[in-house]
Amino acid sequence: MTYYLTTLGVYAGVDIIACLALNLQFGVSGIVNFSFIVFQAAGAYTAAVLALPPDSQNGGFQHYVFGAQLPFPIPWIAAAVVGGVLSVPVGLVVLRHLRVDYQAIAMLVLSVIANLVITNARPFLNGAAGLSLVPQPLSDRFNAYSPTYLWAYVAVTFVCCALVFFVSQRIVKSPYGRTLRAMREHELAVTALGKNPVVLKMTIFVVGGVIAGLSGAILVGFITIWAPSTWLYPETLILFAAVIVGGRGNNWGALFGAALVPVGFEEATRYLPQFGPPGLVPALQWVAIGLLIIGFLWFRPKGVLPEKPGRFAAATPVVGARLTKEPGVS
Amino acid sequence: MSLYLAAFGFGLVSTSVLAIAAVGFTMQFGISNMINLAYGEVMIAAAYASYGLNNAGINIWVSLLGGAVFGSVSSYLINRVLYAPFQKKGTALIGMVIISLAASLMIANVLLPIVGYYSVSYRQNVGPTFHAGSIALTGVQLAIMGLAIVLMLVIHSLLKLTRLGKAMRATSANPTLARNCGIPTRRVIDTAWLITGALCGVAGTVAGMNSDTFAVASGAGFLISIIAAAVLGGAGNPYGAMIGALLIGEVTEISAAAFSPEYKEVAAFAILVLVMVLRPQGLLAKRGTLAAAG
Repeated sequence: MTYYLTTLGVYAGVDIIACLALNLQFGVSGIVNFSFIVFQAAGAYTAAVLALPPDSQNGGFQHYVFGAQLPFPIPWIAAAVVGGVLSVPVGLVVLRHLRVDYQAIAMLVLSVIANLVITNARPFLNGAAGLSLVPQPLSDRFNAYSPTYLWAYVAVTFVCCALVFFVSQRIVKSPYGRTLRAMREHELAVTALGKNPVVLKMTIFVVGGVIAGLSGAILVGFITIWAPSTWLYPETLILFAAVIVGGRGNNWGALFGAALVPVGFEEATRYLPQFGPPGLVPALQWVAIGLLIIGFLWFRPKGVLPEKPGRFAAATPVVGARLTKEPGVS
Repeated sequence: MSLYLAAFGFGLVSTSVLAIAAVGFTMQFGISNMINLAYGEVMIAAAYASYGLNNAGINIWVSLLGGAVFGSVSSYLINRVLYAPFQKKGTALIGMVIISLAASLMIANVLLPIVGYYSVSYRQNVGPTFHAGSIALTGVQLAIMGLAIVLMLVIHSLLKLTRLGKAMRATSANPTLARNCGIPTRRVIDTAWLITGALCGVAGTVAGMNSDTFAVASGAGFLISIIAAAVLGGAGNPYGAMIGALLIGEVTEISAAAFSPEYKEVAAFAILVLVMVLRPQGLLAKRGTLAAAG
């Protein structure tokens, strides 16, 4: 029971962190990052190979690069760094010239191809079998299977959540966040005001990549395994569903969506009786995710907790007053 | 060298399959101004529809017609029930692309419980093998190439010689202006989805005939090559898609011979990245069709 609850806690935390990052990219800035899960995976793989001992140990049953066996905070920091660094070339290719749906398909294709390459290139990150026996952080000093350790891990996860939430809120409320929203609504107008949309998008894309990398590190440190089958491209769509349901552009919405869709939805359906041929229930889950996205975009595109419109105390009445007094306007 | 010649021969077959698929995909983009990410899954669904007929003892070429009808009707329905209402509502491109990805996942997961996870293959007589130097192709493969050439000529005649084709090109270029000129755009768009859906169904079935086996999971791989071919040629342009299909088809087969067949799609991906960096509007498109604000 402890193990179940703590696992649920860590998954919830990781989903919340991921949804916050995706909300910054997709909700606030309008970047359709269909390869989000790749950045999470990059962080997880980085943290794993930096924490694992050289691959000749353990009887050499898995093959991977590095195997640096570095102490705790370094793999997590490196994971965040790698998530950010990987975002730079991807962003430079995708975010500069392309229309928004081209950006989306480019990222989708990247997500499929990255998974394909990692699956087939066995010596790099152990191919389709993936990495296992990843050491938990500080497992050399504490018993990683004791309830105290598990709960402490959950606590650390939520501290990271709070940190990411704080940073996200600061970004959304800053003048920079306002510019991002303006760019999402009308890119040409923002360009005309002297802002460079490519720089704006690149910055938030890298920030999102850093957070995604961190979320991967947190997850892999707890579940101790990581394989290509855990980061197939549909996983990104679950996070999109969460952000859309929660409310695009609103960090509270991302929080709510993360709790509702990946955590609530997956957990609720876990206890459904398995009926029909094997694989029917998971397949229906995916259908339900699709219906959830389509239903919300049709009936409530702003989500459960809509983004609050910006208020400017002085400016709004002045504009309104002038419009009503204008003689020509009827 | 003979290895590469043989790969060139297989490349011609891949090109044929890809050309049928990519022309349908790119015409959907042209006429509805949206990327239909469910295309690969509709292809697979149509391939399974043909498989159902084929498995019941019907000849594969007759089953192919069944696949075409299935692809046609289901593409029409997806557009009429899902895409067109959202577009009428004014959903932005960003929303449309998410909707089409959601549709793609839903089709795949409705299909999975029905047909299962395992790979299947058609009952077909591949016919005698024809040799030309190191190129060796089966009768079926040659027939697929012939079919592709015929279909390309049909599409060309449709677009350039008929009133419907003219109306489609007009709707694709400027829907508002076309409507104001008295073209019934809604009906033109519906017809376009029926035609492109038929291409999609044929493409799915011939893809299954060309490769030994296929499964629901093949959809994503199809989609990548199709996207690469369509974007390379200039999205929305059927002739561009044909050239794109030729380049992508040959490059994937030759790279499979040179490196490893597992990385087939990686070559398509590499070309896609190069195109997006160097010439995002594609080979045949006019400059500026892909401006960020458009």
